[in-house]
Parts: sequence; C-alpha cells; structure tokens
Amino acid sequence: MAMTMAEKLFSRHNLDGTPVVAGDILTARIDGAMCHYHAAEPMMEAAEQAGFKGGLPRVWDPDRVFVLLDHHQPALSQSLADSNAAVRREVERLGITCFHDAEPGISHQMMADYGLMRPGELVVGNDSHTISYGAINSGGIGITRADMFYVLLFGELWFQVPTSLKVVLNGRQPNYPIAKDIILYLAGLYGDDFAGSMSIEYSGTLVPQLSIDSRMCLSAHGVEVGAKLALFPYDDKTREFMKSRTDKPYEPLVADADAKYEKEIVLNVDDMPFMVAKPHQFGNVGPVSESAGVKINQAQIGSCANGRFEDIEIAARLLDGRRVAKGVRLLISPASQQVYLQCLKAGLIEKLVAAGAHVITPGCGICQPKVGFISDKEVCITATTRNFKGRKGSIHADIYLGGPLTVVAAAVAGKIMDPREVFSEL
Amino acid sequence: MSFDLNQLIKGKVWKFGDSIETDAINPYYRYPTMEELKQHTMEAYRPEFPKEVKPGDIVVAGRNFGCGSSRPGLVLREVGVAAVVVESVARLFLRNNISRAIPIFMAPGITQIVNDGEVLEVDYPAGIVRNSRTGASVTMRKFPPMIEQIFKAGGLPEFARARYEAELAKQAGSAR
Ligand code: SF4
Repeated sequence: MAMTMAEKLFSRHNLDGTPVVAGDILTARIDGAMCHYHAAEPMMEAAEQAGFKGGLPRVWDPDRVFVLLDHHQPALSQSLADSNAAVRREVERLGITCFHDAEPGISHQMMADYGLMRPGELVVGNDSHTISYGAINSGGIGITRADMFYVLLFGELWFQVPTSLKVVLNGRQPNYPIAKDIILYLAGLYGDDFAGSMSIEYSGTLVPQLSIDSRMCLSAHGVEVGAKLALFPYDDKTREFMKSRTDKPYEPLVADADAKYEKEIVLNVDDMPFMVAKPHQFGNVGPVSESAGVKINQAQIGSCANGRFEDIEIAARLLDGRRVAKGVRLLISPASQQVYLQCLKAGLIEKLVAAGAHVITPGCGICQPKVGFISDKEVCITATTRNFKGRKGSIHADIYLGGPLTVVAAAVAGKIMDPREVFSEL
Repeated sequence: MSFDLNQLIKGKVWKFGDSIETDAINPYYRYPTMEELKQHTMEAYRPEFPKEVKPGDIVVAGRNFGCGSSRPGLVLREVGVAAVVVESVARLFLRNNISRAIPIFMAPGITQIVNDGEVLEVDYPAGIVRNSRTGASVTMRKFPPMIEQIFKAGGLPEFARARYEAELAKQAGSAR
C-alpha cells in the first residue's frame, strides 16, 4: 500500500504492529518526550486530578524524557524562579537524565542542537511548536499537558492518523531567507487553518536549496496554519546536520511515490513579494506594500521560528554601517546558546550592537513576552511566531509579523517599508 | 472530573468570531494565577465577557477556535461556561478538552443559526444543536468511542490512573 510520510510514521509506531492509514485511531509508541516548565506544576496538577498523591509516580524511560527550561529562563520574577525550582526537584525525583536547566535557549532549538530528535522518530512535546522537528524529517507533534502525563507514565499516546497535504515549493533561493514570507503568503491565500489537523509534506525544486534554518521556520509555523505535522524530506542537508549531533542510528521517513494526498498546493517563490501579517491574526496577510508607512516602536527577531543563524546574519549584514532609527527598539534574541555562539564567532553580534540593537539572552523571552512588553497604541513588527492581541503586552497595541529582512528594514526606516527601498544592495 | 456527554446542556450564548486564540482565552503570561485569568479571559475580543459571563452560559465561535499555543481552556470552565460549540476547533485545543473532559462540540453551521444572547440547546445523544427560540438546528460531529471513554473517565490523567493501578494489581498478583 502506498503511504505518506505521516502514514509511515504512525504505522512504524503503532503498538498493534499493523499498518495504519489516514483517519485511523491508534496508540503509538513514543521515541522521545520534550517537556519544559510544564514538567512541574502542570504535571502535579494532572497527577492530582487523577488522584495520584505526591505527583507522577514514575517516568516510563528516564532517558527518553528531555526537560528544557526555556520559557522562564533566566527567571524574571519570583514566581517563575519558584516554578523553575519545582521543575528541578521533579527532574531529580523522577531520575530524568536529560535536563537543560541553567542553559538559556528555546527548547525546540536545543533539541536540534543536541540531536535529541532524529529523522523518522515520533517525538512529542507539550508545546505547540514541537512540530518544528519535521524540518529534519522527525515526527514532532505538539501535545497537551494531560497527554504528556499519560506519555510520561507509559511512553504511549493515542493519535488519529492525519490526512496529508502536499506543499510543492518551486523556484530559486535568493541570498536572504524567505521562509517566513512563504508561510505568510500561504496563510494569506488559503487561511490560517488551511492545514487544519493535517500533515504537511514539503517538496519541490526549492526544498533542496532551503537551509535547515529555513526548514525549521516553515515546520515551526505548521502550527500557525493548523497542522499536526510539517515534514521535510530527508536529504544531504539533513544527513550533514545530524552527523555531528547524534551517533544513534535512525531510519528516515520517505513517502511512497503514489501516496494519497488530500490536497496539493504549488507555489513558485520567484515572484513572491515580501509578506506581512497585519494585526491580530496570522492569516491577515498582505504584501509589505499594504502596510508601508506604518510607524513602529519596536522590532524583533527571534523565537523558534526566526531566531536562527540565517535570521540574525541577514540582520547583521544589512545593519553593518547603518543605525536603527531613533526611538526604535530593535530586540534580537538568538534561539539558543549554540546559535548565539555561532553568531559571535561570525562577528554578527558586534555589528548588531554597533547599529544600536539590543541583543537579548536566548530563549522565549521576546516572543511571549518576558522582556520587551509594549504599551497601548504602540506598534511592533516582529519575526517571531504570533501576532495575537496582547502577545507583546498591551491588548491595545498592534503587532505585525514579517521575515527578518522586513523587520530589519522597518527598524532602520522607523516604519514598515519594502526592504528593497531601504537597502539598495538587495 | 468526569463529564457525562449524554446530559442536555442549555444556556445563553456568547458569540465569537473565527480563530479565537489561546492567548485571548488564557493570557497566563500577563495573568499567571487562575483568579487573575478569570478576570481577563476573552477580554481581547469582548471586554465585558469576564465580568458578565454567568454559570451555564455557552460559548459559540467560528472556525479554528483555540488556535495558537497548547494552553488549555480550563479558565472557561472556571468562569462557568457549560459548553463550547464551534464551527471547527484547532487540534491542540480539542485535545486539551478531551484530555480534561471539558465539553466542546463541533457543529458546522452553528454560527448561522444562533445570535449572541440567544439560548442554545446541546443534545449530544441526538447529535443536534438547536436554537431554543427559532428551533433552527444543525448536526454535530460525534466522537469516536475511545474519546467518549476518556470523557467518561474524567480525562486522560484518570484514564492513566486506572491503567496504572491495573498494572500494579497484576504485578502484585504474579508476585504472590
Ligand atoms: S519562542 Fe515563542 S512560540 Fe516558540 S516555544 Fe518559545 S514562546 Fe513558544
């Protein structure tokens, strides 16, 4: 039977050992479980709900549970410090071996940095952007806290096998990242739930040209268009990426040539304009020209969507010899310490600071936010994940989403503008 | 807390649009405690909601309800919302409601048959949602039996406990 990547993933992990197809409900064996601050109080709450006194009685496999303190690290308030301390106690009590505690960074990026998810695996996380692992052909799926409680106990979870959506990206990669523009473009055309509960499979002539960083941006944003999985094919770039990060064997997912797709979308990126999502929804998208002239107070680059080397590199490249506009706060936060180090070694950080940017400790800080709240009537343009009301503080503020290039152009101009009008070298 | 899917639910409707996100439902990063959340849930779309919502009210919304983060909508239950009835729901929000046994119903066409403030009747056994005043109704999607069982158990943690205890009992039996 011809199968999609999602069908292969679930067939391989079906406890019953039988093949499954789109629509089937199964209990799946879990290869890895990623937990952040949810590992303590929310898990305790689930335990109490179920009548377990004193919390989760065990984890099914202490070596397959990865706890990474990202959302609240370093703690910016007393209650967050206390919550982190509770996670530490739980990790110790349950004997969890993989714990990234004092290292700032976004969990999903650290999972990638340290090779904690591999191609072909089924890895769950109690965070919606766990879907980003699809970039390296890994079956990353976001689950809920109560789901995670079940996983931690048994290493299994129920799923429904999704139908699949083929997204064919054709065209040429310019010398700057366009992953954000691609996903915004698609959300604008087809709506912010066009992949609702589906598995996206990327293919097309652009895909081999896309860096792992760009693939991670596209896969992470799968959740912003409703997807359950957002998978890239395994290729030389994936192999190269994994080589230095894991020595454990893995078996990539390969779709069969005649697999059945519910829908197919084809996009040629060559004539695609720079795209911007306007307040307050991910699907409220137009070309940057539609928002041109909107004055901004804050600009941001970071998060599990755009906090990677190529996002920061384009900012540094264009800020070299320029200044951030007077009165504009440009916040740039590398996704992890490893990314930060990579940027430092490449001399990017010096250029950013010289241009007047704030470089913020790696982590979720600027995304949710923990740092950089904005006030009533302020405007922020950001290469992070979401532009929902209140996502950066006040619910009476406006948030625009754009790619790192569009953000840095706005930071220099003090208003949203087509990057080509701001940077003549493009 | 177990939830009986077969009970009839009748309540006053609070109507919302499409793609209502969990940041609006559960803005925990601004309001970390449940008491604060209760005073601010949904205010991004309806500032009066947290003040005026009454126990037994029903939330009706368009497509893609609960999109965004994996945060649960427990606060809606805490302020007394008896059911959420939507055109469609984002998968993580649905999973949250299932794994916490909080009633949510997918009824395509629901936004066409009911206005804000009207009274809605949710009849899961019959698979129907009805506007009390006009009598207009739409059908809702039924859950697969396995999901119905999770509701009956009171959520996935309870489900997990039953399995865990059964395993312990079995081990004790074989050790004897
Ligand atoms: S960077 Fe933002 S979207 Fe990504 S995991 Fe952190 S808070 Fe969530």
